[in-house]
Amino acid sequence: MSTHTSSTQGLPFSPLRGSPLSASPKGQLNSSKYPYRVFLGLARWWRAVVEQSPQYLSAVLGAIPFLALVAIVIILFHEAFPAIKVNGGGFVTHSKWSVGSEYANPIRRDGVATPVGATYGAWPLILGTLEASALALIIAVPVSLLSALIVVEKLSARASRWVGVFLEILVGIPSVIYGLWGALTLGPFLAHHLAPIANHIPNVPILRFFRGPTYNGEGLLTAGVVLGIMIIPIIASTARDLIRQVPASLKDGGRAIGMTDFEVSRKVIWPWIKSGIVGATFLGLGRALGETMAVLMTCGAVLGTTAHSIFSNMNTIAATIVSQLDSAQTDGTGFAVRSLAELGCILIVITLICNIGAKLLLSRATHDTTTT
Amino acid sequence: MEITKDKAITQLDNFANVNQLLVAESPKAINVCDFTGRFHGRTVVDNINLEISDGSITAIVGPSGCGKSTFLRSINRMNDRISGWSRQGSIELYGEQVYANDVELLSLRRRVGMVFQRPNPFPMSIEENIACGVRAHRLAPRSHMKDIVRARLEEVGLWKAVSGRLKESPFQLSGGQQQLLCLARALAVQPEVLLLDEPTSSLDPISTQAVEELLKEFVPELTIVIVTHNLAQAKRIADNVAFFMNGSLVEFGSCEQIFDSPKEPETAKYVSGIFG
Ligand SMILES: Nc1ncnc2c1ncn2[C@@H]1O[C@H](COP(=O)(O)OP(=O)(O)O)[C@@H](O)[C@H]1O
Ligand SMILES: [Mg+2]
Repeated sequence: MSTHTSSTQGLPFSPLRGSPLSASPKGQLNSSKYPYRVFLGLARWWRAVVEQSPQYLSAVLGAIPFLALVAIVIILFHEAFPAIKVNGGGFVTHSKWSVGSEYANPIRRDGVATPVGATYGAWPLILGTLEASALALIIAVPVSLLSALIVVEKLSARASRWVGVFLEILVGIPSVIYGLWGALTLGPFLAHHLAPIANHIPNVPILRFFRGPTYNGEGLLTAGVVLGIMIIPIIASTARDLIRQVPASLKDGGRAIGMTDFEVSRKVIWPWIKSGIVGATFLGLGRALGETMAVLMTCGAVLGTTAHSIFSNMNTIAATIVSQLDSAQTDGTGFAVRSLAELGCILIVITLICNIGAKLLLSRATHDTTTT
Repeated sequence: MEITKDKAITQLDNFANVNQLLVAESPKAINVCDFTGRFHGRTVVDNINLEISDGSITAIVGPSGCGKSTFLRSINRMNDRISGWSRQGSIELYGEQVYANDVELLSLRRRVGMVFQRPNPFPMSIEENIACGVRAHRLAPRSHMKDIVRARLEEVGLWKAVSGRLKESPFQLSGGQQQLLCLARALAVQPEVLLLDEPTSSLDPISTQAVEELLKEFVPELTIVIVTHNLAQAKRIADNVAFFMNGSLVEFGSCEQIFDSPKEPETAKYVSGIFG
């Protein structure tokens, strides 16, 4: 090593030294002409700080995201704690959601001041959140899987690059735009064209859930489809990366014993990617559970009742927190806000479970690929 | 590796068979006529003419990058979906045009099996690895599957090692065992021709020997074409040797002829260069 270095330095015109770094105009930081270079400089400085600081400092810096998460959870639970005490277990089983009387004197329950008649039952919201997300997954997972397969196996490299760009654009569209499309276009379409067909479904238990009156097209199905479309890019791009990792030699092996494309997909590609796909599904689920604006605009935002059919109005935890926050703040006792915080706690627990599950499954999937 | 008495007898039988076949006019398993293959217009396999007789072992040797794999993959049309691939000329399998429009790729690939350089067991149980091809081609009823799996594993000498863990992942097996499993998988669909692309280049000497022994046992029921960069291996197992260079077939002849009295100077150089 040392001999190598000294011999390089001994050369009269070492091609390695001098020229590339200092001669290039990129090396000159001119912040007045290129303001973004200031940020570039800051980013470099930050990296230098993280990389050169003693280990304990980088450990502290690395821990910031984790500490932030813990702080958020603790603060949320602290805020919700009185509501958790008063609402008790009924919070997750009851359906009635009422702020109570604004005018009567507050009463004390379990040492907490609450308006008379305040009752909070989140069951329809929990169920609605799960239903809408499940619907989204039912739509998104097969579509994503199929499109990822087509992108990797059938399209040319050029075409699949374009699809990749398109997927990224889809991820970047603000959710309010999806909501607008769902409320103005998709909802009315489903109400006018799908619902009449669905009404031919026999009116018997279980199947009954797939027919029924439409409410301007706002409801479970519209929200679920919009959510599904929103999470397709997430699941599809993960699925695409997973399918790309399937060794060509394996697919060749399948074709070489005379498997059809379908058999290769099912018997060779699928076993290789399935745990990763479960992870990707959880990733999409995490997004669907927490999605707020698009759902609020398309679900009908009804309180106190679960959906009777896929065409019924419904509501989710996230949409309720947003839509009820204003009126909750008029509750002088603060109990309504605390109950919304309790809703938030439930959402964060569900979401954390999903995301941690996703990370575990995805890391296991990539680990599998590297070891074999 | 010990040669059991049974094995020795089958081998003697095989030799007897080979001799009979040589005496009789041996039919052509594969007949390659003016075959040229290109990637993006660049000729990789250049005007090959070659006849491979039924029940023989043919070794394809040559420097790397000379188009051996590409040629081998042309026989079972594995290049078809690679972008930029184009070809001219014909390849016949027992008199049938491989590149005819009405050829069913799936049945072609059942008849022409392939084993690859790196073992590539499927991500499913050991048992399933062998059964899936049988099932894909509906070669046997479900009730026979256990026997087929066992027979194929016994054939490649893997049964003792894996009989207790048929339901487990093949990735725990050693590289050599994985390659034997791939061999068993290829045999399970009852091919007539077996193509092997440097099947032992990632294996240890013991596993290599095991694979070589097996290949010698499979003829003359099977016709074998093996690409190898290991000249000693070609010498050990091949009946005929084809020497490729820069995409062309320089010389084709019996094993002894190629190694002992090569006609072409390039062949002589290549054959002697390695052995010094
Ligand atoms: N999929 C492919 N696309 C383009 N060129 C290829 C492809 N596969 C092989 N080649 C080219 O074809 C030539 C022959 O390759 P190959 O048949 O693998 O040689 P060998 O097996 O004799 O080492 C090489 O120059 C290689 O770069
Ligand atoms: Mg090769």
